Amino acid sequence: MVVGDISTGTDVLIIGGGPGGYVAAIRAAQRGLDTTLVEKDEYGGVCLNRGCIPSKALITGADLAHEAGNAEEMGIHANPAVDMAQMVDWKDGIVDRLTGGVEKLCKANGVNLIKGTATFKDENSVRVAHGGEGQGSESIEFDSCIVATGSRPIEIPNFSYADDPVLGSRDALDMDTIPERLVVVGAGYIGMELSTVYAKLGTEVTVVEMLDDALPGYEDDVANVVKRRAKDLGIDFHFGEGASEWRDSSDGGITVVTETEDGEESTYPADKVLVAVGRSPVTDTLGLDAIDLEPNDRGFLETDDYARTDIDHIFAVGDVAGEPMLAHKAFKEGIVAAEVIAGEPAALDYQAVPAAVFTDPEIATVGMTKAEAEEAGFEPLVGQMPFNASGRAMTTNHTEGFCRIVADEDSGFILGAQIVGPEASELIAEVALAVEMGATLEDVAATIHTHPTLAEVVQEAAENAEGQAIHTLNR
Amino acid sequence: MGVKEFKLPDVGEGVAEGELVSWLVEVGDTVTEDQAVAEVETDKALVEVPSPYNGTVKELLAEEGEMVPVGNVIITFEVEGEGDEPTDEERTSAEMEAQESEADERETGDEAIGAAGDGEAVAGESPEKGADGEAETPKGRVFAAPSARRLARELDVDINAVEGSGPGGRVTDADVQTAANGQMESEVGEPESESDSGPREVSTGEKQSAVSRRDGQSAVNGSAGAAASAEAAGRDRTLAAPATRRMAEEEGVDIDDVPTDETRDGEAFVTAEAVTQYAQAQREAREAEMQAESAETEAEATSATNATAEGVAERIPYRGVRRTIGQQMEQSAYTAPHVTHHDTTTVDELVDVRAEYKQLAAERDVKLTYMPFVMKAIVAGLREHPILNSTLDESDPENAEILVRNEYNIGIAVATDAGLMVPVVKNVDKKSILQLSREVNDLASRARERKVTREEMQGGTFTITNFGAIGGEYATPIINYPETAILGLGGIEKRPVVEETEEGDEVVAANTLPLSLSIDHRVVDGADAAAFTNTVMEYLRNPKLLLLE
Repeated sequence: MVVGDISTGTDVLIIGGGPGGYVAAIRAAQRGLDTTLVEKDEYGGVCLNRGCIPSKALITGADLAHEAGNAEEMGIHANPAVDMAQMVDWKDGIVDRLTGGVEKLCKANGVNLIKGTATFKDENSVRVAHGGEGQGSESIEFDSCIVATGSRPIEIPNFSYADDPVLGSRDALDMDTIPERLVVVGAGYIGMELSTVYAKLGTEVTVVEMLDDALPGYEDDVANVVKRRAKDLGIDFHFGEGASEWRDSSDGGITVVTETEDGEESTYPADKVLVAVGRSPVTDTLGLDAIDLEPNDRGFLETDDYARTDIDHIFAVGDVAGEPMLAHKAFKEGIVAAEVIAGEPAALDYQAVPAAVFTDPEIATVGMTKAEAEEAGFEPLVGQMPFNASGRAMTTNHTEGFCRIVADEDSGFILGAQIVGPEASELIAEVALAVEMGATLEDVAATIHTHPTLAEVVQEAAENAEGQAIHTLNR
Repeated sequence: MGVKEFKLPDVGEGVAEGELVSWLVEVGDTVTEDQAVAEVETDKALVEVPSPYNGTVKELLAEEGEMVPVGNVIITFEVEGEGDEPTDEERTSAEMEAQESEADERETGDEAIGAAGDGEAVAGESPEKGADGEAETPKGRVFAAPSARRLARELDVDINAVEGSGPGGRVTDADVQTAANGQMESEVGEPESESDSGPREVSTGEKQSAVSRRDGQSAVNGSAGAAASAEAAGRDRTLAAPATRRMAEEEGVDIDDVPTDETRDGEAFVTAEAVTQYAQAQREAREAEMQAESAETEAEATSATNATAEGVAERIPYRGVRRTIGQQMEQSAYTAPHVTHHDTTTVDELVDVRAEYKQLAAERDVKLTYMPFVMKAIVAGLREHPILNSTLDESDPENAEILVRNEYNIGIAVATDAGLMVPVVKNVDKKSILQLSREVNDLASRARERKVTREEMQGGTFTITNFGAIGGEYATPIINYPETAILGLGGIEKRPVVEETEEGDEVVAANTLPLSLSIDHRVVDGADAAAFTNTVMEYLRNPKLLLLE
């Protein structure tokens, strides 16, 4: 024990106050367990502070500006001026309210909150170093521990986030001026979301991506809808090129240099470069050596259906516990870990995790694609409804995209859906419910949907799969 | 004819389970929609559960006195027209027609579910897979609602091994329950279902019981394994070497009952090893059964001893309203340090005033009691000593707060057949004596009939308990937590008091009212309690002062 160390005990220790951690803490406290949450930075984690919430705020702002300025067809003639600093302030206000809310909820549920960085001393205790010189440290003994340390953006060589023109996703959400030229490295979902934001705010955006295409992991016809729209917005794509370095240029901006596999170089002038090549789990601050727990070769802590690591009383939830790195997956895991610790029969046996990308248009998916269903041994039956056949979509002036439902031909059970189009992130909830409930195409088709709404596309897709569609031609 | 299941509905806000007090129908009864079929007691009230269908009662799935979680199927009805929710039986019979060749296998199928300890055995005997190994159930995935999945976990049932009876083979809560029941039966070594001897047990979904049940299961799992393999195969024809047959005879087992995976020329073939194993398994199963039986007898004997040893005449389950009252009392007594302040006041004038107005009140159809006067006196006391009109908010233990209330909502403890109820008269300060009288009478009588709503028992700031109505002088009332004070009233009786007259002290008979005020000493001090009681007594001694209130 370090001299001056105070040692306290707790039933459940949670490391990390993001979506996985704070939810686990609140649920554990609700179950009557003495619960301590250690957070080194900000309550709410990446999601609230520099991910989901701030990005969605800026996306909404940029959309509004862009829509207002591009609605001549509807007879609206406007030329909106965007005060970026004010938009960022507005976004910060939302973030502050939410993070404050998380802290209050934790306290109101009786969670002990500690600011600091927790490092394992052994399998039943951690040392928490409080931030800042001379702030001291304390030891906490625990019966169970939930690791919820999340993830951080991956840095690539020669692009240090410490350098001013190099932006991480977090910096891209905190700029008080709109850059004139922006190079985005990476065409995954974060790169695509932020490219769209800045393109809509008037920035000249160039995207370089090492792979052959944007949005890897999504089917071509889904990704293409988004890519097409991005091109319409003026985003310039360069695939098969990896960013190798950046340098100052004579015009006061910078030059981003890329390289193909064959060593061919290209240069792109810019004012800033945003690196969005993915995120890696945070395990290096945990002192895992002390407890004989090792991350797998991708850096994640492996867990079972009960969110347990190889050590029975140590759990891991959220980004650190593996992909998909999504806040709602973290919520669920946090709840399960807390309930398992409380002795309840909880388990991670959900059938599918929905995912959404807030590009223009949005992409949202749940469950299996047609190919995945085939691979799993189903004979998939697919139904599709284009948004350009939806009355409501037309009235929103957004008719790109489609809703596709994948079902099992034998039983009609819905296995998944891919939606690309307006409000896809909201629409997917219906199919997620269907997948979890084991609903059939008939169940969805026979459920009355409000008209005129976008949600009708889900019903229409189900009817289309059954060859019963009214508003589109059946397959 | 179709069969409809009926689940115990949510009988009240936040109520997770209820005791099935009595069935109002029997199997075979014709019922109409909205006809009451059962009485269920929750921790709040006794409610009648109406039938949602016109039909005939097919099965009662809970026993009287059983605690049933909300959402459990308690009854099934035969209903005219096609059934939307085919039961296992229906589904089974439909399949038997469709696949006659499987009928035999299917008959033993129920027993197979009984042997659910062995997941493989169940999967292997599910009718879909029986035919050609081609699974009708979608490959590697079980379709079930999250609630059914959770139920399966609670009951420790592997949902992958449950045969679904819902649309397209979806696994329903009832399927999980059935599988769990089968599992239980197999575990106590009784593969034969007792379905005809009475209603099935369904009330195992309770959280605590689920946990203990898990533990219980791990304890018997050892014998369950043996019982599973001791299951009789029951073939018509078995191939075996003559030596093996002789061995079987010596071991006392029927060669047709010995399980085997091996076949010769398409017929089941049994080896000597299989016979030995089966015989051994059977012995173990018998032993386990005997042990279970003797344990049961022992347990019964013990409980019987307890019952007689202490001269217990009746065992009353501690649940429902009784348990709720108990829990509240326990919380109050062990949370709030109680101090009780006793005093007695003369109430001759009050007796006169009440007698005088009783007549007038009767003319207005109101039975005037002392209670409204006491309530008014209490409000006067609370106005002068607001700390007694408070509740202690400990929902956030770190930042607990004393909430001094600015409304005067007085709870009246009412003894009912079911136990103590405390309906609350709201805004006593704003109501007249007659109004209060009417309201108290109404609440009290409805409390006795258990028709007081939950809302009518909430929001109190101070409580009165009138034990004197039954008889007695002083008591120690338990505070209606989180309130911080309660006033107990003894009986108004003539008692000797010393009166000062010009001739000197004189002992006279005067109407007196003994008061017992319990306070939460964390919030209220003894001095406050005494001062408050003095004010109340002053008003009771001089009821005309109440006119000024």
